[in-house]
Amino acid sequence: MATIAVPLGAQEQGQAAEAVQRPALSEYLRWSVDHKIIGVQYGVASFLFFLIGGAMAMGIRLELWTPDLDLMVSGAAYNSLFTFHGTIMIFLFIIPMWAAVGNFVVPLQLGAKDMAFPWLNAFAFWLIPPAAVVVLLGYFVSPAEAGWTSYPPLSTLFSGDGQTLWALGAHLLGISSIMGSINFIVTILNMRPPQMTLWRMPLLCWAVLATSIIAVMATPFLAGALTLLLLDRVAGTTFFDAAGGGDVLLWQNIFWFYSHPAVYIMVLPGMGVLSEVLSVHSRKPVFGYRMVGLSSMGIAFVGFTVWAHHMFTSLQPELRIPFMITTMIIAVPTGIKMFSWLGTIWGGKIHFTSAMLFGLGFMSMFVIGGITGVMLAALPFDIHVHDTYFVVSHFHFVLFGGSVFAIYAALYHWFPKVTGRMMNERLGRIHFAFTYFGFLFTFFPMHIVGMLGMPRRVAVYVPEFQPWNQLISFSAFVLGFSTFIVIYNVIKSYYHGPIAGANPWRALTLEWATTSPPPVTNFVDDPIPFEDPYGYGTEAAAAYVEAVEAAFSPGGSAARTER
Amino acid sequence: MDNSRSNIPSISPAAVVVTAVFLLVSIIGVNWFTTFVPLVLPPQASAESKSVDELFYILMIIGGVVFFLIQGMLLISVLFFRARDGDLGDGPTYHGNPLLEIVWTIIPALVIVFLAVVSYNIWTQNSEPKAAVNMIDGEETKIKVTGARYAWTHTYETNRLDADGDPIVINSGDKLHTYIGQNVDLELRTQDVIHSYWVPAMRVKQDLLPGNPDFGGRPTDIRFTPIRVEGAAYPAEYPIVCAELCGDGHGRMRGTVVVHEDESQFLAQFFEPAIYAILNPPADPVLRGEIVIQEYICNSCHTLDSLEWSSRTGPSLNGIAERAGERVAGQSAEEYIAISVWNAPAFVVPGYTEQMAVFGPDQTDANHMTAEELYSIVAFLCTQGEQSDCDLENLTEAIPQAIKTAFGLEVDISFGQDDAEASQPEAAADGSDESEADSESD
Repeated sequence: MATIAVPLGAQEQGQAAEAVQRPALSEYLRWSVDHKIIGVQYGVASFLFFLIGGAMAMGIRLELWTPDLDLMVSGAAYNSLFTFHGTIMIFLFIIPMWAAVGNFVVPLQLGAKDMAFPWLNAFAFWLIPPAAVVVLLGYFVSPAEAGWTSYPPLSTLFSGDGQTLWALGAHLLGISSIMGSINFIVTILNMRPPQMTLWRMPLLCWAVLATSIIAVMATPFLAGALTLLLLDRVAGTTFFDAAGGGDVLLWQNIFWFYSHPAVYIMVLPGMGVLSEVLSVHSRKPVFGYRMVGLSSMGIAFVGFTVWAHHMFTSLQPELRIPFMITTMIIAVPTGIKMFSWLGTIWGGKIHFTSAMLFGLGFMSMFVIGGITGVMLAALPFDIHVHDTYFVVSHFHFVLFGGSVFAIYAALYHWFPKVTGRMMNERLGRIHFAFTYFGFLFTFFPMHIVGMLGMPRRVAVYVPEFQPWNQLISFSAFVLGFSTFIVIYNVIKSYYHGPIAGANPWRALTLEWATTSPPPVTNFVDDPIPFEDPYGYGTEAAAAYVEAVEAAFSPGGSAARTER
Repeated sequence: MDNSRSNIPSISPAAVVVTAVFLLVSIIGVNWFTTFVPLVLPPQASAESKSVDELFYILMIIGGVVFFLIQGMLLISVLFFRARDGDLGDGPTYHGNPLLEIVWTIIPALVIVFLAVVSYNIWTQNSEPKAAVNMIDGEETKIKVTGARYAWTHTYETNRLDADGDPIVINSGDKLHTYIGQNVDLELRTQDVIHSYWVPAMRVKQDLLPGNPDFGGRPTDIRFTPIRVEGAAYPAEYPIVCAELCGDGHGRMRGTVVVHEDESQFLAQFFEPAIYAILNPPADPVLRGEIVIQEYICNSCHTLDSLEWSSRTGPSLNGIAERAGERVAGQSAEEYIAISVWNAPAFVVPGYTEQMAVFGPDQTDANHMTAEELYSIVAFLCTQGEQSDCDLENLTEAIPQAIKTAFGLEVDISFGQDDAEASQPEAAADGSDESEADSESD
């Protein structure tokens, strides 16, 4: 097996595997430039924000249990609730959560010892806590209540100081995102081992690369929009004030020029995770590897041309058509991914691990978000459902059915690598069942109430919609409950889970060719990647997996390598 | 990676058969499914709604096929391609199939082109300006909609003239009256933030954008033509909804489209009575006040049972006449109410914040309200309560006296015709159409 190259220094690692200890928990609470520590810091912090944002979602659904205003003291209080729900979930949960996955996995997949700029990496993370404090403190001083989209003049002339804090916090988070993304781009382009060409790179790295390019190009536009908003609020300018010669649509244009690509910032890494998970757990190569990688770039590129479909009811009518067409085009690269994943699992040997269940759940739910995405692109139909619960449903299918399912898939898939212990599969399956059905029955009925005439962002609604809303709220509580299962699973598995070993999924990418958890430098020596990150089914692949297992099993490797 | 392909045939016949069967089943399934479509959409009350719903059918069929295809293939994979217990082997090394990849790139692209063409055609057809719009009694009129937090106001600039020769303007509050077959073309303006005028039954929606009042604001248009709905009783009512977050009362910001059966019904039930009421204002200030107060957006924040207002942003007006005299020492009830209307920030009721706009006699102000209107509104509010603090026997003298004390203005209580229609809150936002607006609000 001349083509097989097991990481150098493998002979010693038989002992090293036992010697590698998990970092003490206190390591996670202080400044560290180790990408693995930073990855976990990102992950735990953003998961805490997920809990806060999720609790707010429960509050929203509780309020909507009845048509009247009863839980909240006023419509304004309800408005700030969903404003903070959206802001937290987007800026403090999903985006940093992908930084968590990217941070932990990407350098390992590249066989690198760390990110290109370790100090910058840590700095990008440590911007998040102060930014979060700034944003969340806004909740206690006349909170922002203009939605996460903060359209002026509601967010300028008609809002309190919380809106200023919201903009400042979002600014800081944008800076963090840009710094993290630059780091990813440099790392991915420069720190691959010599044997790993771009076309042999794992697809998660492709997705993180595409995501980072979007973030670096788009986030400055958010910064620009926020700066103008802040100037309008505190410096007396009138960029968005028509009475002073400004234009309210200026904000919508700049904001969505960032925020539509931001949707892909939130979902592309999930697609990368899916390519990994589906291939590994169905024991088959990724179908059409090049097209899957290129479609990430395609989505990233086309994603910059569609922003005004968020303005179909405010843009001048004659300008709407081009954006309808560009928006529909996005369906093509997205479809390529979806069909390629189906081709990946088709005919494979599927292992129904929790990671795989969430991967399959992603496909099953994300396709609905994709279909409604094309429906919303169709301008005449969009005019009817624009700013209704149909839209709320659509983007939750993309961002929960897509991103969050992929985040859970990533958690179950890489938890063994992070902690050295396996997650409890039975609890994982229960968690999946609650999440899948809770999610489906929360968000699918929203399509219907939206089409029937319920606008989004209302605390009161007509009594005809109450049965639908009660179904939605009940399912939302089930969905909320499912979160506790995974929390319990993580804590239990961290202490009592079975020892994972280096490569529990018998995968071919480099992050599995080291101990779990990896040593501080990730690899004892420069590792040599297997020729094809997804080349399952060949003798060479089987031999590689054997060799990795032998090299990192406690108690030596001689007996196994003979087989 | 050099895509070393295995010797598996390019597309297996089994996969083709399975796909074909699924397409067939899903087409049948979707056709059956679309019979439920009317249950998830509001009534089709406009010509536009027909074509929009046709597009929705097309989208449902295509989306349904994609849905069943992908979920079906997922289901087959889950059922048939499980690894058996203890099977640690790998699946076939199958890296892809260029032909298949081309197919599933080209077909969605073609579907997209088809959808784009269909949508484009429907869009141009629906958004095209129509020839004869807002026809009332054989003539085109202008119907304006004003959005203000949190109420809609509809005004009709008619071709009828009042005694002074000025065109009569009808204010129908949150109700839009129209009739089957009328090409409705509304001019939308906002007084404050962005709102969005949505009539679900008509499938139309358009944002109201703040513009520079010096340049006539930033009017936007919304167009639809009501059609007959089978089984509906006429006049039929359909909700108007605000679809763009506008603040505290966003969810309450609703109105009603009243569709009359035909133009003669529209004239008889709405138009002519409204014109008559304007030409013959009641001499009694209380009755006048009851009409005038409903032309402003007081109902967006206040509760008043006698007019079925139920908003809770501002203090309740129920029984205001019982309390008005005790609020400020040395101030009469009439004075207190008059100041509260014209200069609301002067008194903020405990437990509420200063939110109410200043109304007043300044014609350039968006909330222009003449002294005569104030007089009648105060008269009406003086009757709201069991034991009024106002001098009910002598309102015609007490109120003008109060206005004079508070604001130093003389009130002409002779009810000249010209003040009857000077009640458009959006007067200042009109700009380019000032020629008409000016003449009516002098």
